[in-house]
Amino acid sequence: MRKHPLQCRVPRYLNLIDALNAAPGERPFITHWISEDEQETVTFGEFRDRARIQAEAIRAKGVNRGDRVVIIMPQGIPAMTAFAGAMMLGAVPAFLAYPNYKVEPAKYRLGLAGVTANLRAKLVVIDEEFPDDMLGHVSLGDDSMLHRAGNAEATHETDAIVDSSFSGDCVAFIQHSAGTTGLQKGVALSHAAVLRQLEHLVQALQIDGAMDRIYSWLPLYHDMGLIACFVMPMVYHVPVVMQSPLDWVMRPESMLQILSDHKCTLAWLPNFTFQFVSRRTRPNRRAQYDLSSVRALINCSEPVRASSMREFQDAFGASGMKASALQSSYAMAENVFAVTQSDISRGSAPSQIWADFNQFRSTHRIVPVAEGSAGSICFTSSGRLLPNHEIRIVSDADSILRDGMVGEILIKSDCLFEGYYNRPDLTAKALVDGWYRTGDLGFCLNEEIYVVGRAKDLIIVGGENLYPQDIEEIVSSHSAIHDGRVIALGMDNPDLGTQEIVVVAEVENEELLAKSHEIEREIRSSIVAGLGVAAGTIFLKPPKWIVKSTAGKPARSATLEKLRKEHPEIKKES
Amino acid sequence: MTEEQKQMADFVLRRIRKPNLVIDENTPLVSSGLVDSMALGDLLLELEDLTHLRIPPGKVRPKDLDTVAMMFATAARVGKPQK
Repeated sequence: MRKHPLQCRVPRYLNLIDALNAAPGERPFITHWISEDEQETVTFGEFRDRARIQAEAIRAKGVNRGDRVVIIMPQGIPAMTAFAGAMMLGAVPAFLAYPNYKVEPAKYRLGLAGVTANLRAKLVVIDEEFPDDMLGHVSLGDDSMLHRAGNAEATHETDAIVDSSFSGDCVAFIQHSAGTTGLQKGVALSHAAVLRQLEHLVQALQIDGAMDRIYSWLPLYHDMGLIACFVMPMVYHVPVVMQSPLDWVMRPESMLQILSDHKCTLAWLPNFTFQFVSRRTRPNRRAQYDLSSVRALINCSEPVRASSMREFQDAFGASGMKASALQSSYAMAENVFAVTQSDISRGSAPSQIWADFNQFRSTHRIVPVAEGSAGSICFTSSGRLLPNHEIRIVSDADSILRDGMVGEILIKSDCLFEGYYNRPDLTAKALVDGWYRTGDLGFCLNEEIYVVGRAKDLIIVGGENLYPQDIEEIVSSHSAIHDGRVIALGMDNPDLGTQEIVVVAEVENEELLAKSHEIEREIRSSIVAGLGVAAGTIFLKPPKWIVKSTAGKPARSATLEKLRKEHPEIKKES
Repeated sequence: MTEEQKQMADFVLRRIRKPNLVIDENTPLVSSGLVDSMALGDLLLELEDLTHLRIPPGKVRPKDLDTVAMMFATAARVGKPQK
């Protein structure tokens, strides 16, 4: 078990609204960047005023303390002020994703109906353009109401008095754990727990509201966007420049423009962003950006890949991007946000360890080897525990493992959630004796945490653990397969009494399906050569067959579901 | 189709990995699911190259790129001279 030795300071505020009220009124808070010549900025004072107007409108709908308020609005200042306005009343807001063309309609409707029903919201706040065909899927109970929040109400003056003197123990808001399929789980968090987390985070990152400026394209319904890029800046009075996820994905390079023009110092980004931006910014345009103001781009929410960060550094080193500014963190909604943070004060990128791949795979042990040596694998640290955090790495039999052994990560902290909202069944599985079972696999080494993948995705063949990412990397390298559009799964084979590897891969174009046998044979050979195990079934599929998540990545469970529909011979229990 | 529209149609087919598909300037691409979100940025960059215009992303919605014809109409509407 690892424990952070330092105790941190007691949070200074009674609740999150108390912190917002203490913000300097003239300091810029949110800048919503739409394009280089269209941006809207509100100061903390203006934000407070708009939030009070929203609070007034929400209260007029009969919302009281403790009532849930679901907000389904496009990313922007009105959505954020509605969220803060609900909190001002002591109500409990929750952001849900706004429908967009990227989301599969059937999946969105299913998720929306399930989540809104579970929250039993008193009010569902939508914008004026919310599509009517989706409205039928918002579960409104007998006591629930729908409220279309227009921009007009955010422009008039208010002298509304909102009493926000509730205690820190009250629930502040509900955030949903990330999930690409099925129903997302609501995590209810108290003001006090959020304030404790933020204190740890601000301390670890040495954040100063007068000096720092945060950049974000992250959605507000995700913990990274909500906590790191909205709630933390609101409490510690840090300016934020944000753009919508859709605008970013249409022009990934715009992230560089914003960082450069606004001299941003901090951003949190999922791992794929580092490659995505590098590959979609033409080399001849890189010189026009100045990234020297950035002191930390924090790789978070996916296992950290050294190659992704290296690619970013290679692409933008000449633009002033400091290698030491590429940092990492391990975070989850159940802990408000961060569990670990790499040490930004040491002036270098996060630690890396090269380990013997065979030992890692077969004995789940990290045996360090020389950098880049044959048969090695590189892991990047997610940093050290935040103050008042503890971690355990446990085996399948729940034995506590020593340093350098790979197992499931369990955490305990002073900002851990108390349970999933209205889901005691899920809570009982996730929280055991005060420890949260993350479902992630990782190891500790030299007081640092390394995350290697999800436990549920692990493929076990003949007692040997295989990480799907390793198989997917091999298959992706075949010239006929579209890079990144591969999923490796483990399916129980009752005849063999173990799992077998099933690969689903998209070919580059449909014509290649005529050469399926040849491609399949080559892929099988590569897997055996690379991992020493044989693949069971390989499904080659046409382009765009694999189901994607809202983040655009292959969605494992949904793809498996689709595979089962198309291939009924695949057994359900597998 | 104009020469630029043909070039864009060819680019779309390469990008979506369906070289033998036939599309014209009015074939729905985004609404039909042929073009996914990750490809939109590539389409915008290609459109800028073909039109010699700079297209501010915040001014463009996915539906504005639904067909090849709409792509060029969008470029004409919101495009600015390249720096």
